[in-house]
Amino acid sequence: MHSSLNWTSRLISRALRSSFSTLLETATGGGGGAAAKSGATKSGAAAGSSGCPRPRFVSVVCGFAKDNLRHKYKPGKYGEDSWFKASTESADVMGVADGVGGWRSYGIDPGEFSSFLMRTCERLVQCSHFNPQRPVNLLAYSYCELMEQKKPILGSSTACVLILNRETSTVHTANIGDSGFIVVRQGQVVHKSEEQQHYFNTPFQLSLPPPGHGPNVLSDSPESADTMSFPVRDGDVILIATDGVFDNVPEDLMLQVLSEVEGERDPVKLQMTANSLALMARTLSLNSEFLSPFALSARRNNIQARGGKPDDITVVLATVAM
Amino acid sequence: MSLLAYVEPGESSDTEPEAEAEPDALVDFTAMLRQRQREYGGWFGCGSKMQAEQSDQGYYLEQYVLGVLDFSSQYGIDYSISYTAANVIGRPTKFPAYGDYPETFPMVSRSGPCRTVRSEFPFNSRPQRTYGDWWQRAPSATREIQAQNLPKLATHDYIVVYFEEFVVPTEVAIFETFNPGAVVRIWAYGLTKHWTCLWEATESDLARPALDSRRFAPALKKTTMITKTLRIDFNHSRLNYYTEIDAIMLCGRTVSKTQSLLGRQQRTKQSHQSQRQALVSPPAEAAGPPAPDGSGGPISYKLRTLKFQPKCHEDGATKLHDFINNDLSQFLMEHSVEGGEPPPRVCLTDLPFEILLRILSYLDLKSLFRVGQVSRTFYDISTHPLLYAELSLKPYWHVASSELLCTLARRATMLRKLDLSWCGALGNVSPTEFKKFLTQRGDNLTHLRLNSCKFLNASCIENVGIVCDNLIELSLRNCATDPPLLNFSCLANLKNLERLDLFQTAFETELLLSMLEGNRKLKHLNLAFCGVSVNMDNVAAHLATYNTQLISLDLWKAHFLSARGLLSLTRLHQLEELDLGWCLREASLGDGLFQLLSNCPNLKKLFLSAVRGTTERDLMHIAALGKNLEQLDLMGILNITHERVYDILVHCPKLQLLDLSFCDNIMDRDFDLLAEWSHQFTVDIKTSRRY
Repeated sequence: MHSSLNWTSRLISRALRSSFSTLLETATGGGGGAAAKSGATKSGAAAGSSGCPRPRFVSVVCGFAKDNLRHKYKPGKYGEDSWFKASTESADVMGVADGVGGWRSYGIDPGEFSSFLMRTCERLVQCSHFNPQRPVNLLAYSYCELMEQKKPILGSSTACVLILNRETSTVHTANIGDSGFIVVRQGQVVHKSEEQQHYFNTPFQLSLPPPGHGPNVLSDSPESADTMSFPVRDGDVILIATDGVFDNVPEDLMLQVLSEVEGERDPVKLQMTANSLALMARTLSLNSEFLSPFALSARRNNIQARGGKPDDITVVLATVAM
Repeated sequence: MSLLAYVEPGESSDTEPEAEAEPDALVDFTAMLRQRQREYGGWFGCGSKMQAEQSDQGYYLEQYVLGVLDFSSQYGIDYSISYTAANVIGRPTKFPAYGDYPETFPMVSRSGPCRTVRSEFPFNSRPQRTYGDWWQRAPSATREIQAQNLPKLATHDYIVVYFEEFVVPTEVAIFETFNPGAVVRIWAYGLTKHWTCLWEATESDLARPALDSRRFAPALKKTTMITKTLRIDFNHSRLNYYTEIDAIMLCGRTVSKTQSLLGRQQRTKQSHQSQRQALVSPPAEAAGPPAPDGSGGPISYKLRTLKFQPKCHEDGATKLHDFINNDLSQFLMEHSVEGGEPPPRVCLTDLPFEILLRILSYLDLKSLFRVGQVSRTFYDISTHPLLYAELSLKPYWHVASSELLCTLARRATMLRKLDLSWCGALGNVSPTEFKKFLTQRGDNLTHLRLNSCKFLNASCIENVGIVCDNLIELSLRNCATDPPLLNFSCLANLKNLERLDLFQTAFETELLLSMLEGNRKLKHLNLAFCGVSVNMDNVAAHLATYNTQLISLDLWKAHFLSARGLLSLTRLHQLEELDLGWCLREASLGDGLFQLLSNCPNLKKLFLSAVRGTTERDLMHIAALGKNLEQLDLMGILNITHERVYDILVHCPKLQLLDLSFCDNIMDRDFDLLAEWSHQFTVDIKTSRRY
């Protein structure tokens, strides 16, 4: 039966090749707190709303698969990218994951891993032991669930998860790899995630290799995720996207587009902006002359490259409304 | 976002400890009705006014499960959300889709109870398991204690769930998304702290339904009880494969704020009902009609009229026994009876005591107590300790109480086998009473089963270890508490164990290791679901050193078993059954499987579900060396091709079950081929064909 302490104390997984001991220590402290909190929110919901403002996300999604012809549209995925949105009494959660394409040559569908990761995160948000302050836990549990599936799921992906904690109006994020997020306020970028790469074009990734290939495959543990926490204000614009966007759209252009929707609460207008951003990324990615951020970074690594980088594009755009 | 924001918090008087609010547990319907109720100010007749008993009984409410109180088994491990009992909470996620989804709740009780008429064969005529009868055909099969107590459709698994609001139940709907047809009983827990059976399956209900998802809502008994806790019983014997449940819905009329008034009335009504319904009434109570004993009136009457006198030769007793069993009915039919005879000179009670004892030994416990109410003689016979050498209160879990234990303690002076599984839920049996019972009657116990017993605490286990040193079988399934109950070294006193069952139970590793060292005769060991906090490689090494007589070993979901552990297991040469499901996750097996198959020629059952490290060479070894294999589970293993499957089918002549679900390499076009081979080699092949 599910008590959050039981859960966290059993999450000793040597099989994941690195211990989550640090996760455990903070999680048992945080997990206990979360249980109390989620218990309290139900009865205190009426009382709580009168006092401090409770922020929420107005969020929309848009994207394109790299190979539109092959991939039939499935909700929740764009080609090998995948995303999820969920909300509870205490938090709003969003996330993206980008499947690493190299697995195709081993006969493994790269989109399966990322899709499963996101779907499980969505289900885990609704569980009683969800901790709105630890997105790393969400990723870690989701990763563990992979081992419990009858259907063998192999592959790897990057991931970026963002949680808005309503009680404290703070956003907690966890990012592994080269997907990321950007927060815009009053025409300026106030927070931005860092790309995590081992070397050029090889981001940090969560992976489950086929048995026997373990040592040959790059696999990072959820613990290596970059975490950030920061407060948000009414009207902030938050964009979470996969590298298809960050590698093709220069930052000033992105800033320009995002500043336009600051404070926007109408989901339709927000959707229009997300659509245009995604389209921008797609057009630029297929342009072979344009000096995209990807090309610039390649040049810094002594690779002569030009043009955009064709890739799956996923844009999750949200504004904070209080 | 649900409309729960409108719902007033904390209205119902529930005291369940795990009532953590799931925001989506109620249908929005509820909130809408409440709003409407407030607007129209008591249109439905409820509200702040206290009405007389014929008031409107609130409004119709449909609810999904809020939480799970208890369950006997689940497929997934408890920290997971895949294939676990927690998936019945809330709305159905997959229904009406049909298939094997991780967002549902399947059961895997691994060794179900079995119905057997007292017979001479060690295994029954009606075997069951989680699906079909495969478990009863395996080497680790057990026999039920006091099997005559079991109803015809025995319960293999159960789940106890609770909802948010009290209602008078009118419908219970169970959403089955895979292999429907396992539900056999629905119980409801009323305010009077009694369980009532709202529905029980008959033979016709279990005629195998179509393989499609269904919303199963049988016709419930008409009742006025108020409940928000249900228990669903399952029986898997007719199933082809695992059954999975997506959600449970409870529909009924709420009872609003007059709940306490009605509740009091319910309680008085219920106590009358329960007196009539009490399955086992101690002889002191004068309830229930005097039931005639097994043979019935006509037989003794006929015996009287025919002036039947048994002739007691040396083998007279057996002759009589045979006669009564086989020829009596024939005899009665041949000799008709005229009415109005002089008073009898010989009656049933003139039969020798041992014969009567033998007759009564076929009765179930409930009938035995009723027989005791007939007369002083029958009371004396029915309380004879030989009739209480085997005791099982599992079928009577809903009425088992401390008083019953007390009564039984007086009679069961020669107790050898005891089964108190499932009893004591919700506090009916106290640990003190159990300990007293054990101290009085436990010293000669050979078989003890305490599965899912909620009253067990550390001192009870300590008592078991101290008192019951003659135990051959100990079964403590489902005692997964935190901190683990089994952390006392007193269980290490047991030295004669042949069967130890710790399915889904938490224990300290050192205790297990010392028990393994002490019980050299161990034959059957079940450590399913224990693998998370236990170092299985150490356990395997111990087994190889101290328990070489092991016949069956179940290590389902032992995550940390590595190839080294597998190599240790290869030293158990008597092994006939090995379940390594979900073990050895990422490791490659190395030489392990080859060694195992070479060293254990008697291996009949091998489960390698989701052992992803199995290679094609391993499959070739299975075909080459698995001469005696009867059951083989290769679920979810990559690299299986239909050539390998054919190899195995050809070279394993005794194979009966082959599970190839989720073997993605087997293409759709091969499924027809598999069906053909299944027929040709008479092997039951399970595949996860997309429905």
